[in-house]
Amino acid sequence: MAQYQFLIRRGLQGLFVVWGVVTVVFLLRFMTPGSPVDFVAPLDAGPELRAQIARNLGLDQPIYVQYGQYMFGLIQGDMGFSYIRGRPASGIIVSRLPATLELAFAATVVAIIFSIPLGVLSATRRHEPTDYAATAFSLVGISTPNFWLGIMLILLVSVGLGILPTSRRPIGLLPAIEMLLFQLDTVGVRTWIRHMILPAITLGTYFTAMIVRLTRSGMLDQLGQPYVEAARAKGLPETLVTYKHALRNTMIPIITVLGLQLGTLIGGAVITEFVFNWPGLGTLIIDAIRVRDWPIIQGALIVIGVGFVVINIAVDALYARLNPRVDL
Amino acid sequence: MTDADSDHLSRRAYLTYGAAGTAVALAGCAGDDVEDLDDDPATDDGTPGDEEESHIHIAQTQNPTTLDPHDHRETTTDNVLFQAYEVSIGRDPDGNLVEQLVTDWEPLDEQRYRLEIREGVPFHEGGELLPSDVAFSINRVVDEDAGNLSSPQADQLAGVTGAEVEDGDVIVHTNEANPMVFANLASYCPIVQEEWVMDRASDEVAEEINGTGPYQLEEFVDGEHTDFTSFADYWRGEAEIESVRIDASEESSTRVNSLRAGEIDLATAVPPTDAGGIEGDDDTYIADGPSTRILMLPMRYDVEPFDSQEFRQALNYAIDLDSIISNVLSGFGDATSQPTLEGYFGHNDDLDPYPYDPERAEELVEESGHAGVEIELDVPAGRYLQSDEIAQACVNFIDDLDNVNCEINMRDFGELAGQLLDGDITTTPPFFLIGWGNTTFDAQQNLLPWLTEGTSQTTFVDEELGDLIGQAETEIDEDAREQLLMDASERAHDLAVFVFLNREYLIYGLNERLSWDPTPDEYQRAYEMSLQ
Repeated sequence: MAQYQFLIRRGLQGLFVVWGVVTVVFLLRFMTPGSPVDFVAPLDAGPELRAQIARNLGLDQPIYVQYGQYMFGLIQGDMGFSYIRGRPASGIIVSRLPATLELAFAATVVAIIFSIPLGVLSATRRHEPTDYAATAFSLVGISTPNFWLGIMLILLVSVGLGILPTSRRPIGLLPAIEMLLFQLDTVGVRTWIRHMILPAITLGTYFTAMIVRLTRSGMLDQLGQPYVEAARAKGLPETLVTYKHALRNTMIPIITVLGLQLGTLIGGAVITEFVFNWPGLGTLIIDAIRVRDWPIIQGALIVIGVGFVVINIAVDALYARLNPRVDL
Repeated sequence: MTDADSDHLSRRAYLTYGAAGTAVALAGCAGDDVEDLDDDPATDDGTPGDEEESHIHIAQTQNPTTLDPHDHRETTTDNVLFQAYEVSIGRDPDGNLVEQLVTDWEPLDEQRYRLEIREGVPFHEGGELLPSDVAFSINRVVDEDAGNLSSPQADQLAGVTGAEVEDGDVIVHTNEANPMVFANLASYCPIVQEEWVMDRASDEVAEEINGTGPYQLEEFVDGEHTDFTSFADYWRGEAEIESVRIDASEESSTRVNSLRAGEIDLATAVPPTDAGGIEGDDDTYIADGPSTRILMLPMRYDVEPFDSQEFRQALNYAIDLDSIISNVLSGFGDATSQPTLEGYFGHNDDLDPYPYDPERAEELVEESGHAGVEIELDVPAGRYLQSDEIAQACVNFIDDLDNVNCEINMRDFGELAGQLLDGDITTTPPFFLIGWGNTTFDAQQNLLPWLTEGTSQTTFVDEELGDLIGQAETEIDEDAREQLLMDASERAHDLAVFVFLNREYLIYGLNERLSWDPTPDEYQRAYEMSLQ
């Protein structure tokens, strides 16, 4: 019961946050230079034609009227029409969302697979070469800009070695799985994996490096606790002591960070998508910003904002499940 | 067996299976012989065959925003649509008008122009081209009550008021004498099928294609790619290349790396700095050629110090354009001497670019009475090929003069464009960089928008110059009109209405198996390409 009350309470708070996001994003358009009319109008359009275009786009209305119309539409799932594409913004955004989600989740998987074992190794072999190597990796990983890493990986792995493709997403995960299940053909999944590896590594490296540090410090803290000594005294193998007891307790803050970072990854995939020509929300936002396609910009930012809120609530709920001492 | 042992064994087994699975996955991912859905329709079913040999992949800078040929203003969208749609009059590689969907054309009087339509031209979705389709297409662009569209291309057929069918021909009506009608129809207004358009909602027209061109639409995934297959009944004969994919990579290094990795056959807008690397590879090469775009530094005639002819000329003398073309553009550019491009109707071949002469520039600044002046150059950030670097070099050359201080002001393009195009010259920056494209191959579209009163982006007004351009605008006699435009170009050169910079070059990276000569209009028509 307490959990339901918590979810309802956090849901209402989330709605308030989403309203704030919508409002700030809406107002942003009035603070940035350049009008959408400049991009829609012909280059030698006269003032009359420009005014007509502004009227057609609804930009001649007072801000509060535009805001009211936008909020009213948003409640009904209407994010407006793309100024440039002339189609509903919501449809365009939804079509791009899977690519970004796939990339964010893949980057998270990469981070989990590499970071936690590395962090544990680093902590259990403190002041040994493995520890130094893991620490150096995390330092470099945190310091390396995404775009540089992506381009270097493309040059080395794709252009130099010819092992993996440089860019693009020929097939989505769901169609690939459908192909596997209904046609018993693995080519879709294999194509998806081949195209996902470099973008996921690029996006996940910073994340990996951060969790290596978090895991290492958490494990060092837990390994010094009396219950670990007690477990060892009982004669449990060191592997069990490390992975079953110490790591389990270390995982609580890591999962919190993982959840929060997943939201950051969705929003932060812009550069990675750009470098790898990944048809997700990031490239959509960049395209839209260039031509001041505000319905797309607003809609995409709102989707990302809502994603953050939902993930935050989910992490809080999960946190309480993992750690029963936490009272919701 | 203890619990601990059990746990240990199960973990070991799990890790074993996991490692095996990972190895299989990696093995499946690596290697050149992996079947992939990457880009070739022939491999979609996992059976690469002969068709793969006849497929090409083009990567440009942006994907099309719509497939409606009359509802956009982007060259990149046109580049996709012109694989499938055709304009009524064609052009040869030199820009001269040639027969296409129209086989004959002539002015009937100052306000009526006749088009004779080719017979037996099929549309992709069935039916033959009718004169009424051509008239409908023109009306759809110029008349917002026709064709369920308020087209943003109306100005491209400036002066055209409508079209109708008379005795099997199309009669184009204009509001006054208009010598640009045929040139404009050779660059703009793709021909659509009236019945097909009117039977569909606007969003369907934006996602489907039914043209008369050499390729028909196979698949359009918004924001990802557009696939075409050759149209077997194309009126000029089926294309040699059977299928084409066009997609976009905004990041230039992505396009270049895709080309070098053999994933694509043609990369557009290759940065000059990457040209050497592409030429250095065994499997790729560079193809380049002059574009229809000129880079220039307009100056407002109504503000000091740019109201002085001596000062404007001084800025032209101050800049070492050859050095900029050589060092910034790696040779990919031509110096210009006038607003018009070489090869265009009305270009004055007798004019040479201003030479680099800083001493003469300083003398002219003294004569202008503006010695010691401080000026600022507004530059739209990252808008054109190496334009930021070109602008910085220009500013440095001007600032090197002893009696002028010059600084650069990087601007957002949208913000700058808004100031240029609002019809109010007082909001236009006094000195700015801009690129101007003109695919009509006619000097008028370079001169009229900037150098006559009453347009939205006027920066310079001179009575004699305005008269010359005004007369050319309505002169039907070709020779007389060409002379007027040449005289106007010469006057613009003498007045130094701009700092004349370079003609942009189109730089493409190609796979060795693909043979193609770039055309100045910035389109990569697969029909004109061949495979070796």
